[in-house]
Amino acid sequence: MEFLAQNQLYIVLIIAVGIWLGVYLYLFRLDGRLKKLERDLHQEGK
Amino acid sequence: MILRVLLGILLTLVIVAALGLPIVQQPQHWYEFPSIPGLEEKARIIFFHVPTAWLSVVAFLTSMVFGIRYLRRKDPEDDLTSASAAGLGLLFCVLATVTGAVWAKFNWGSFWNWDPRETSIFVLLLIYGAYFSLRSAVEVEEKRATLSSVYSILAAVTVPFFIFIMPRIMTGLHPGAAGDPDGAGPVIEFKMSPNMRVVFFSSLISFTLLFIWLLSLRVRTARLEYHLQSKG
Repeated sequence: MEFLAQNQLYIVLIIAVGIWLGVYLYLFRLDGRLKKLERDLHQEGK
Repeated sequence: MILRVLLGILLTLVIVAALGLPIVQQPQHWYEFPSIPGLEEKARIIFFHVPTAWLSVVAFLTSMVFGIRYLRRKDPEDDLTSASAAGLGLLFCVLATVTGAVWAKFNWGSFWNWDPRETSIFVLLLIYGAYFSLRSAVEVEEKRATLSSVYSILAAVTVPFFIFIMPRIMTGLHPGAAGDPDGAGPVIEFKMSPNMRVVFFSSLISFTLLFIWLLSLRVRTARLEYHLQSKG
């Protein structure tokens, strides 16, 4: 507990970076999936 | 692809710098932020609070521009873009409100103080909340698009008044309000040191890039949905 109390800022930093990286990876994967769907739809239309 | 990777790196660096760099009374090194009287450690939230508020303005203006485009060209994609931008604007408006409320609790004593800027963001949340109730209330696609485009234009006209004018002509708790001893204007101009400004403007740039990416993802999803619906 003392460690947590002394390093509050770094714990906040780790959590914030963790949340951002989670959101970023989700968006990155979503982008890839959308690209695939767009390609499929484009090929269907041909 | 490269832009997306750059955005990932830039925003990670901004978060690390904003939360990790030390705030000291007398900075000796480039990586130390000076302590701003009255803010101290709480100054860190400015790197996230201001960019989210800035992005909500950008998003609402984008929504207006695409609303105008829809009324001129009647292209359903413009309506999709306008609605997506308004949705993102509302999201960032909520984020600005939440980060602001947390900051207010520790600086001014309570989460909500009805300061002019708080009141104006509350009214903006109501205005854009009504935009989405309007959209969900009209079922005919073209009518919905036309009505919401007109609404988005009218709503965006109020944005500069609520964000830039009203909080500066009334007395309040935010910096830059009428009667502020440091003078009117944004806090960055007179209190931030050069290294804080670098982090602040990097944050503004990376949040703007994030908005562009999120908007493109939302528009592409809506476009796919539209095509699939018109097919089925």
